[in-house]
Amino acid sequence: MTTTLVDMGSQGRRADKDADFSAYMAARQPALYRTAYLLAGDHASAEDLLQVAFAKLYLSWDKIRDRGALDGYVRRIMVNENNSLWRRAWKRREHSTDTMPETGTHDTYDDGMGGALWSHVQTLPPKQRAVIVLRYYEQLSEAEIADVLGISVGTVKSQASRALAGLRSRAPSTLHPREHRPHEPGDDS
Amino acid sequence: MNTPLEDQVHDALHRRADPIQHAPLTVTDVRHRARRIQRRRAAAAGVAVAAVLAIAIPVGLSATGPSQRSDVPPATQSPSPTPSPTPEVASGTVDVDVNDAEVVEETPVPLLDVDGPSLITPDGTIELPEVFDTLTPYLDGYVGVARHDEPGVPLATIEFLGADLRVDDGGNATGGLVVSPGGGRIAWSEYDGTRWRVFVADPAGEVEPVETTFDPTAEEEPVIPVGFVSADTVAVKAMYNIGGTRTFTAGGGQPVEVTGLLQADTASPSLGAIAGITEFRPEGTCFGVVDAGGGDPTWTTCDHRLGPFSAGGAYVVGTSAQDDTGSPSIAVLDAATGEEVVTFEAVLPRRTVGGFWTQMTWVGDEAIVARMFIGDDYYMMRLGLDGSVQRIGIESVGASGLTVAVPS
Repeated sequence: MTTTLVDMGSQGRRADKDADFSAYMAARQPALYRTAYLLAGDHASAEDLLQVAFAKLYLSWDKIRDRGALDGYVRRIMVNENNSLWRRAWKRREHSTDTMPETGTHDTYDDGMGGALWSHVQTLPPKQRAVIVLRYYEQLSEAEIADVLGISVGTVKSQASRALAGLRSRAPSTLHPREHRPHEPGDDS
Repeated sequence: MNTPLEDQVHDALHRRADPIQHAPLTVTDVRHRARRIQRRRAAAAGVAVAAVLAIAIPVGLSATGPSQRSDVPPATQSPSPTPSPTPEVASGTVDVDVNDAEVVEETPVPLLDVDGPSLITPDGTIELPEVFDTLTPYLDGYVGVARHDEPGVPLATIEFLGADLRVDDGGNATGGLVVSPGGGRIAWSEYDGTRWRVFVADPAGEVEPVETTFDPTAEEEPVIPVGFVSADTVAVKAMYNIGGTRTFTAGGGQPVEVTGLLQADTASPSLGAIAGITEFRPEGTCFGVVDAGGGDPTWTTCDHRLGPFSAGGAYVVGTSAQDDTGSPSIAVLDAATGEEVVTFEAVLPRRTVGGFWTQMTWVGDEAIVARMFIGDDYYMMRLGLDGSVQRIGIESVGASGLTVAVPS
């Protein structure tokens, strides 16, 4: 009888956990998927990245007391996972495809500039890219980014600076479409 | 206040991501992945224990053998060519009798203990997180081919293990993995959901991998590496549903078709040659060796199915032409002419099925390590071209026995 009661208690806690986790996933998956996509660069990798992050969150669900910190936890896993995946992918020169096999999403709002910049963002080293995504997409502060990445605020600043310099150098002629004048060094600094 | 560039980056990212309303994962997906992560963590914890043991074991072995190391073997080095410049080579038929064979306690090549699962090298034993049928060092860990029998999972997947022996990448369907005789390059194929790709990589990671991309096909039309034809080019067979099996070389960019074979089975970088099936006849199948460059035939035989070339390209294995899975004998043929040099014949009790597995590996140009089966029993044998026969006396933990980790 004791065993039965313990089992029932265990099953009840598991059901509660699954219900809570399911609600969180339903609410946050689309937004976190977008971040995963920006970090990974293609849909297949984004799906894998988010699945790993959710799986690790699921395993740690009972230990995370502050439900407000869940997004940050998922972002941190995705960034770390993407960085390590990128290292392995570089070594074996993995080429991902940006073609989504099932429901394709096309950038219908792209006037050409977004696509060009996006392609340059994809060439950034993963840590710089993570800083760019968290800063300009998630709009986190430098301190929040430092917390997510586990690095100092100074390192966040230097990574961001290097990333912007890299973007500027990669596409100097296309970064100032609104100004209708040739690029002049120092415009962005 | 953002600069114009920062504004444009902000806009570009939002334009790219905001239209995406994608929620592909279910809680079941996530729970399944979580279980996989848990299993790998558990396996890694087991490996940590094994690592401690592996440090101790070689010390204990020091009294019985010259080979000892003070740490976990980081890599299984490929079989080294023989140090002897003029090895003695036997002729005629050599009986392979497991009861009479000298028993040696060390393996000259890496072996896989299927039921461990574990990797047994001359330097020690490493527990593995899952069952592999091929495994070789890559970067700071290993790359291997894992077999699966679960529905919905590819039959064979390529898996990358980190230094901690956790599977930390991979999972794509693969047609297999081959290692060049000197161990300087490895090659594997992967299906990316649309097409097959072949990668040739430096196990040390000092040279960037080279990729060859095939035309889009189904996953069920695998591209299978069969062996290297030069230092950095591998021969593959593509098993197309329409058009049958075709042979290509893959050394980056686009594959190059090789004519002359109906099906490639093995290759030699020393000779720049590929061997395989040349002809189907009513009375049986014929095999031959062709030049990897032009497909010109060097020689053919209808007596032997051709197996792996020796590391230096001097010899090629001939097995029973009629049997895909086992052969009562292993003939060593002169790779230049097809002439028989020496034949190893399994000695079997009367009315007992047995022979050699065709998955085997060369030790340089001087010996073959092959799995011999007699009824339900398995033995790993070292067959020296000097006529020596040794049984590798390493016990397996289960009934599945041992296999070579890197077939030639």
